[in-house]
Amino acid sequence: MKKMIALALGAALLLSGCGGGSSTSDAEEKYGSSTLKLYNWGEYMGENLISNFEDEFGVKVIVEYFDSNEMMYTKLQAGDAYDVIVPSDYMIERLIKENMLQKLDLSLVPNISNLAEGVKNLPYDPDNTYSVPYFWGNVGIVYNHNNVDPAEVERLGYGILQDTAYKGRIYVYDSERDSFMMALKALGYSMNTENESEIEEAYQWLLQMNDTMDPAYVTDEVIDGMINGNKDIAVVYSGDAATILDENEDMSFFLPTEGTNLWSDSMVIPANAENPLLAHEFINYVLTHDASYDNSETVGYPSSNQEVLDEMSAPEGVYAENEAYLPRTDYEKDEVFEDNPVLKQKLAELWIKVKASH
Amino acid sequence: MKKEKKSLLSKILLGLTATFFYVPILYIILFSFNSSRSLTKFEGFSLRWYEKMFADSTMMAAVAYTVIIAVLATIISTIVGTLTAIGLSKSRKLIRGMVEQVNNLPILNPEIVTGIGLLMFFSALGVKKGFLTLLLAHVMFCIPYVILSVTPKLRSLDPNLADAALDLGATPMQALWKVIVPQIRPGIISGALIAFTMSFDDFVISYFVTGNGVNNISILVYTMSKRVNPSINALSTLVILLITVALLIVNIIPIIKEKKGRKLT
Amino acid sequence: MKQFRNMAVPYIVWMAAMIVVPMLLIILYAFTNKGNDVATIRFSLENFARFFSDTVFMSVLKRSLYIAIVTTIICILMGYPIAYVIANRSEKSKIFWILLITLPTWINMLVRTYAWMGILQDEGVINGFLGLFGIGPITMIHTTFAVVLGMVYNFIPFMILQIYTALTKMDKSYLEAASDLGANRVQSFLRITLPLSIPGVISGITLVFLPAVSSFFIPKLLGGGQYVLIGNVIETEFLTSGDWNFGSAISLAMAVIIMISMYITKKVDNDPTAKGRGSN
Repeated sequence: MKKMIALALGAALLLSGCGGGSSTSDAEEKYGSSTLKLYNWGEYMGENLISNFEDEFGVKVIVEYFDSNEMMYTKLQAGDAYDVIVPSDYMIERLIKENMLQKLDLSLVPNISNLAEGVKNLPYDPDNTYSVPYFWGNVGIVYNHNNVDPAEVERLGYGILQDTAYKGRIYVYDSERDSFMMALKALGYSMNTENESEIEEAYQWLLQMNDTMDPAYVTDEVIDGMINGNKDIAVVYSGDAATILDENEDMSFFLPTEGTNLWSDSMVIPANAENPLLAHEFINYVLTHDASYDNSETVGYPSSNQEVLDEMSAPEGVYAENEAYLPRTDYEKDEVFEDNPVLKQKLAELWIKVKASH
Repeated sequence: MKKEKKSLLSKILLGLTATFFYVPILYIILFSFNSSRSLTKFEGFSLRWYEKMFADSTMMAAVAYTVIIAVLATIISTIVGTLTAIGLSKSRKLIRGMVEQVNNLPILNPEIVTGIGLLMFFSALGVKKGFLTLLLAHVMFCIPYVILSVTPKLRSLDPNLADAALDLGATPMQALWKVIVPQIRPGIISGALIAFTMSFDDFVISYFVTGNGVNNISILVYTMSKRVNPSINALSTLVILLITVALLIVNIIPIIKEKKGRKLT
Repeated sequence: MKQFRNMAVPYIVWMAAMIVVPMLLIILYAFTNKGNDVATIRFSLENFARFFSDTVFMSVLKRSLYIAIVTTIICILMGYPIAYVIANRSEKSKIFWILLITLPTWINMLVRTYAWMGILQDEGVINGFLGLFGIGPITMIHTTFAVVLGMVYNFIPFMILQIYTALTKMDKSYLEAASDLGANRVQSFLRITLPLSIPGVISGITLVFLPAVSSFFIPKLLGGGQYVLIGNVIETEFLTSGDWNFGSAISLAMAVIIMISMYITKKVDNDPTAKGRGSN
């Protein structure tokens, strides 16, 4: 036993020994400190984003990951300090309301001029005072065009998720926001509604889907599932849809005409950031063509950089002829999520009841 | 005849057990060599996920942190847990009952509850989150498993043994190490194994008590929110390999030593 | 023997700080409502009322207990023979098998569960194998079977370890005495081995049942999200709704229910062993 422990310790120390940093005194002089603490979604960065940034500016980046806005929010509330975080729209709205973010000094972010038109000045931060978009997209329907008639999908929109012809053949995204968005849109309401009877109607809509369609509620397993063709219809984020279409040519993508969610994840600097100067430098760096390209190519999500967006979707680009890559903008029925903790709490509870009732 | 039958039966049982436990493991190893990103559909042999893993310094650091934390948490919790269990077995029933109930809380509570409880606790104390808080939390949830494993062994222990040793002039320390501990060793070992497992595989609690870039393997896996990729399988394969090699060395060294010893005489 | 008592003191102090204090915070949350300031704190049972009066939550609770009980029973039925066979092997072989069983638990749980997803799929390994004989495909993924299988796979090593620990180093003189007195193998197993291994089984139950009730990754992945268990509800309340008060109340209610049932199990366990053997 002792030997085992000694061995394990030795191996661990060896491993932790590798991968040291370089000399960083220049950066220290310029920014006050040479470390940047970044808090981002997992698997959400280009393969070389961090290492390139570290090399170019002679700094060290400490990365931590989250897989939901609420997890991130919980840690932030507990006082954990980060320099750059990448929350979603409604969460940014909440953080602004609660004075947890600092205003950006846009003179330090000249590359903000690279931002794509459709993702600028969104309602949660109308003048990009606090946030700079990172990735964005919609939510739509991926379907197998060999088993599902495209005309049928276009005719029914979200309603296809209640069509018992496809019973047992559907994936539904397991989140209260996305499922209620779908139900509310299907019924012709706003996805930010606070109207009790509209919410009740949407709840009944979801209950009916649950009771008659035998859906599988999934999150990221949906990507693998659809690539393997396990089911015929799935509600997914457009960025994930782009990946699915890329790897399985039987799949098509449709954005329902009833409207959908225009979401975005943006970079912000928390009020308690320890190194705001370097944080600005990082945000500016992400907006460069090369960094944005690396991000979008690796993750498959639409870039916030207009040039990269054009390049990727151009005929010779990586996502040419991929109808899921480019987000839909300027469609009147599309909306952006608003922050409403009370509503969110209510929907979360209703959603769990939908899933639990059978 | 009867014995043969019995040993055949037990061999079949062990064979089935090994199959049950190792089919998923073989599956994991297989997919670490997948050329595509899929975790469920094998499309061809490739080493790309190994390249990706070794190039990823966050991942390699996470392996190191996971092992160091697990080893330290196991050592500390095994020692403290064993001593506590022995102490409790000699304590009054009321105290023992209460401690055992409270001791079950970390096992019983959903991890998210323990995690958030500790998050608030550490934040209230103003401790900087990182290696130390992570280690403390792991020790906290590992000790109950050790106590739980050692206690039944203590119950079947003859209480007069230690008394006899003391009567014969042994110091309490001697009575502890020479009489009690050898009797309950299997309990201690299984407690240590469970503690190691719990620490090695913990995500939720670790997530909320760590910070400043100290990640373990589980945190990386669970937060790969966009898509878990096979480099995790590569990592798992590496872990299996490391452990197997360590076990082989531990088991082979005594044999070699024994042989050498024989030659000398 | 009193000299050993003090050895428990450091842990009791530590326990008070690291377990009891955070638990008190959770209790505080459970009995209050959102937006309560320390200055204007007001205790209420609202959260508990909301939980216990809701038929959906009650059916989730029932389903969680049911799945956890089934998992525990299967773990005992499978784990006991395995532990028994291992405990009767040679010293070296014992260690080998125990490590063989423990090793898979050092692979990340999510990764192991993903492997099961691949194995159980309609186009997975098992159905491919059955297909060779013209059977199937049988739908296994997203069923109760898949959830229970995932749980058994994940938790059974703890059951085996506990029973094995109880069986090994058992005082062999009891068995010899029994056979001297003319007991056959079955009798001596039922009268001696089994009762002496009960404490191990009880520990095993604790280690399987308690985490099984509150687990949420396995039902989520292998159950296709439809198998909402109490762990999923608590997780949602904490992380999605941000309603810590309600989440705390549910987990507290669950803790109390389980502690009571564990207490009863312990009582049942204590009675037969307490008589006949001198307790300290």
